[in-house]
Amino acid sequence: MNLVDVLETTKKEPHCGLCKIDFLGTGVCSAGKKHGFVAYWPEGRMELARALAEHEVEPTETLRDIVNSCNLCGICDRQCYFVTQRRPTQAQHALQNYLKTVSPDKLKPVQEDEIVKGLRAIVGERFATNDPLIIASYTRSVIKQKSTGKYYIVMPQTTEEIVSIVNLANTYKIPFIPRGNGTFFGVALQTLLAEPASIEQGIIIDLWRMKHLEVDPESITATIEPGVTSFELQKAAHAHHLRANVAEAESCVIANAQNLGIVTTWSNTYGWGTDNFIDAEYIDSTGTIQHLSDKEIPNPYASEQGLLSLSLIPSVIVTKLTLKLHQILPDEEAIFVPFSDLPDALDFAHELARRNIGVSLAVLSRKYLTEFISPTHEIAEDFNDIAEKYLKLNYVVDVICDSQSKKIVEELAPVSFGSEMLKSLILGSSKLTSMKDSSLLKMIGEEEDPLKAVFGGPMRKHFEKGLATSPKELVKVFDEDLREFFEKLYSKPELTDPIWLHSFRILPCRMERKHMWMYRGGYMPGDKNTILKVVDALEKPAQQYGIDGAFGFLSYLERGKLAHLEYDYYYDHTDPDARKRVNKAIVESWRRQFAIRGVTPLEFICSKGLHRKEHILYPFLPGLSEEELEHFEELIETLFGGEDTW
Amino acid sequence: MVKFLSQEWAEQAKKKVLTELDKAKDLKNMNASLLNVVQNVPPDNTTIYYYIKFTGGNLEELVTGSDEALKEKPADFIVAGDYTTFIQINNGQMSSSMVLLKNRVKMTGNKMKALTITKPIDTYNNCVKGVQTEY
Repeated sequence: MNLVDVLETTKKEPHCGLCKIDFLGTGVCSAGKKHGFVAYWPEGRMELARALAEHEVEPTETLRDIVNSCNLCGICDRQCYFVTQRRPTQAQHALQNYLKTVSPDKLKPVQEDEIVKGLRAIVGERFATNDPLIIASYTRSVIKQKSTGKYYIVMPQTTEEIVSIVNLANTYKIPFIPRGNGTFFGVALQTLLAEPASIEQGIIIDLWRMKHLEVDPESITATIEPGVTSFELQKAAHAHHLRANVAEAESCVIANAQNLGIVTTWSNTYGWGTDNFIDAEYIDSTGTIQHLSDKEIPNPYASEQGLLSLSLIPSVIVTKLTLKLHQILPDEEAIFVPFSDLPDALDFAHELARRNIGVSLAVLSRKYLTEFISPTHEIAEDFNDIAEKYLKLNYVVDVICDSQSKKIVEELAPVSFGSEMLKSLILGSSKLTSMKDSSLLKMIGEEEDPLKAVFGGPMRKHFEKGLATSPKELVKVFDEDLREFFEKLYSKPELTDPIWLHSFRILPCRMERKHMWMYRGGYMPGDKNTILKVVDALEKPAQQYGIDGAFGFLSYLERGKLAHLEYDYYYDHTDPDARKRVNKAIVESWRRQFAIRGVTPLEFICSKGLHRKEHILYPFLPGLSEEELEHFEELIETLFGGEDTW
Repeated sequence: MVKFLSQEWAEQAKKKVLTELDKAKDLKNMNASLLNVVQNVPPDNTTIYYYIKFTGGNLEELVTGSDEALKEKPADFIVAGDYTTFIQINNGQMSSSMVLLKNRVKMTGNKMKALTITKPIDTYNNCVKGVQTEY
């Protein structure tokens, strides 16, 4: 196996960064944990294998160290296969074989320059580098592909070290950018947002070493440093029977808070942005430490609104965040209300939001449901087809609530199902897809109301019985050598517990199994008409440019007054033509969204997560006029060049 | 070759804009004044003010200097940033909109009006970068 053999896999590396956290109870890569730099983690080995195969970087002396640091323990294969169906050890084998072909005299050490000397004086010898090989592993997850700039990577451990790094950067007049787990960059850097979201040269401040985390159960808060991931915070909170409102498992909490304000299905009651943040310590561009609670600073919540507020690089580096946690109710239960049509699902969910029902509340698409719970992408696709064709299950109002609220939901819902059925769907997804053309599914499909027949009528028992399966059955779809591990994994109750899955959010990266995706959507008034207009504004460009677009999830804020929508464009980011088309669709979707009153596309929230809603979303801006939209197009051309250059 | 932001540079830049750009087609008959506050100019880390004013697409003023009185000039927009950033704009490495997006400069002024002059200002910068400049 050589680098070219694994190129198809390594090119599609999505940089989700889940390999850096122990989300399956396997432990994490020991080499990554020891060395820190992305190059030593499975994610980085994949990127390095790609960069070497595509001759974007020349090997240095560090190659030997990176390759030899891996003991092929296989943890990464279990983690990565669970999420993306990829096996990073293949890249490691290819790197090992490549190393054997490189003449030892070609593996030269990298000369230190004054800047790296300065950085090493701040953080220690091990944690600063100008080695092109290590820098290459950050490509596509903070550094733009084929960038010719001169970069440095530094991994500080304290706020004071970051201050010194910022001062050093300012002395040498070079830009710097903080990197959490690279998840945001991993998505944005594949699109026309790559330029505004990255630096053309300078210092990458990798915050992975800043992992201090302290839960205060008395005040029900946590104080964290920027290297703490959502999964890690949630785990610490759960140890105190508390819950954090956090994004996907792998995202660094502070980066997500700062960038997007952390919007989740729990935002229905836990809120969004500063609803959850108490104080932050941050370093400004001059290297000065400030706190949100300082009396002398300018209003930290002031912000620009609208399309000229786009800023994908944070203006400060947040080094500490104190955020609220929430008590877990003793009688929480999950309930799912399936719908065929989006307007019906929106009506139902909005009614719940207005009544403040649902600690967690969202409208989830068929695409998300099937992709998240299916063990492989192939099964997800078949499940998706079955849900659409036979079950007419296109949307689910997904609720986690107390037992009293559950009764209300059951009363209001035309039909619903609970945790047991979801467990059956998770464990039985492969069996369900094997029934693709079965007479049972055909019978269901012929029912007047298939949803009622399956989830509420006499067929429910047959359906559940048909699905009945065990972890042993489920894991037959996995590679043979991984089955024993996955059988044990799927026997753990949390893997089929919807409340745990909503809290720890280990499944969303399954969206990246086949292709890369680009999130679209944003914030808007919570009325159905506006939401449907926005869905249309996102759907049309996808159709126009041949992009696979799909509704993701919608959550309400402020008792239904506002809504947040995620709609996704799926595309092959290794295909230049697909990238062009997705870029055109992005621009067109902005244009269409800005024409709708009160809508703020998601990108225009970036770097404003610590601001209050009142400063970003209110007052609802009128939709742009035709003349303003023309100027918007000129702005886009100024920023990104003409369509042909994208 | 003239020194960036020197008086000679300002004169050549103004001449170039007036002779090469069309008020209507290129500069969209814009009415706008812009004060650039260029910080940390070497060798002494001084501040230079770089002021431009367009009326009906005509470049009425293009003035540079460290005289504090320049910052009192009436300006629709004030853009403050590091000397290195203004070099990047002037040599075409980055557009003025991109540096704003990257948080390299701070801008005050009416953002909706800024939207209307994005294109002509970009055209202006592209023209000015043709002046043989040393940094």
